[in-house]
Amino acid sequence: MAILEIKNIMKSFDKTEVLKDVSFSMEKGEVVSIIGSSGSGKTTLLRCINFLEKADKGQVVLNGEVIFDGAEKKKMTSEEIRRKQLNFGFVFQSFNLFPQYSAIENVVLAPKLLAKERPDFKHNKEEIYAEIEANAKRLLSSAGLETKYDNYPCELSGGQQQRVAICRALALSPEIMLFDEPTSALDPEITNEVLKVIKSLADEKMTMIIVTHEMAFARSVSDRIIFMDDGVIAEEGVPEEIFTAPKSRRLKEFLSNVRM
Amino acid sequence: MQLFTKVTLSLFEGLGVTLKIFAMTLLMALPLGLVISLGSMSKFKVVKYPIKTLIWIIRGTPLMLQLIVFGLGPGLLGVRGMNMFVAVIIAFVLNYACYFAEIFRGGIESIPKGQYEAGAVLGLTKTQVFFKIILLQVIKRIIPPMGNEFLTLVKDTSLANTIMIYEITWNAKRMMNSEHILWPLFYSGVFYLVLCGIITLIFNYIEKKLDYYKG
Repeated sequence: MAILEIKNIMKSFDKTEVLKDVSFSMEKGEVVSIIGSSGSGKTTLLRCINFLEKADKGQVVLNGEVIFDGAEKKKMTSEEIRRKQLNFGFVFQSFNLFPQYSAIENVVLAPKLLAKERPDFKHNKEEIYAEIEANAKRLLSSAGLETKYDNYPCELSGGQQQRVAICRALALSPEIMLFDEPTSALDPEITNEVLKVIKSLADEKMTMIIVTHEMAFARSVSDRIIFMDDGVIAEEGVPEEIFTAPKSRRLKEFLSNVRM
Repeated sequence: MQLFTKVTLSLFEGLGVTLKIFAMTLLMALPLGLVISLGSMSKFKVVKYPIKTLIWIIRGTPLMLQLIVFGLGPGLLGVRGMNMFVAVIIAFVLNYACYFAEIFRGGIESIPKGQYEAGAVLGLTKTQVFFKIILLQVIKRIIPPMGNEFLTLVKDTSLANTIMIYEITWNAKRMMNSEHILWPLFYSGVFYLVLCGIITLIFNYIEKKLDYYKG
């Protein structure tokens, strides 16, 4: 069974139709990259998956359960949205770390607040917090940040900030990780340090959707590529197919315009 | 020397009243200002526009006029025995709350949308996002304009003398008139200067405390 199914998603901003009937599905452990030119709707699609934008029509189905339905979005309470958003980890283009918290505080903030909702919280507070902190240190270390626990975001490079942001999302053990152009705000020479972290997640069979402009990376890390154009999926397939034998005219044009 | 002591004592008497106006205004205008600022950002027009109008009127008329309206207005409408000190507090609280509201609004609106979104995708409730993520960032950003308002408030308390509140300036004027001397007025300036100096130091300290991060 597919872990995630996106069915007939449509989204307009004012009168501009950004997504026109987008559907796809993915399996557990799969890595899907979404490519396409600016304005093709790839970021909006990603944001519709975890309801940062609420689609006008269509459904998001997670493990067979409809978690979002455009026809019933008005009925969703903010508490429901909050719960369901936790199925996804989201990494922003602009990192969005909390500037007043150190790297490790950024990572433990949400898990600690969520732990308060656990029934055994009062009883095991110390242990739960210790566990959360140990987990955060493990995540940061595996992202090569073992010396940066107590540094504030303003003291970190862009690449380091983005790695902290990835750890922050992972700390809640989401089922699916969503990356919104994770390296677009970075200098080319530090792009790789972030891509390496994402690659290692792929090796661990993390289910991921990556919106990216890094074609070489998309090609090497993805199981499947989705090419978006003008609000629709214009072509999708395995990386080899997409990059070496594109079928649609738009994809051919797009690929000839981007540096590989 | 005896005269100097007499004037000093009289000004200290006024200082007590000045500090009382200052403290009570802050105590009430800060929370009221937050409420007004949230109202002025409300998506409900029936809330937003009346509040915007209130802010416009209060910021668009002199505080001294407002003092007179609240001090003498009730009497004109037939309400007897309006306590002048209460009138002063109402006028000051309302006036400063409106200025604070605009500062809060500027601070809240300057926080990037991404901070709210990052909180949301991490499963924080709206209340947690505000108190754990947004609030401290807002405070850091509004410290400099707030410092200005606090200093202005210290000096604005002197306007209360227009409706017979015996604060520092009123006492200085009384000494001038009864002793036929000018210097108590200049002397009263020293009181304001010292108060403002202390406030400036406190604000510098807070600013330094919050300097551990940028952004």
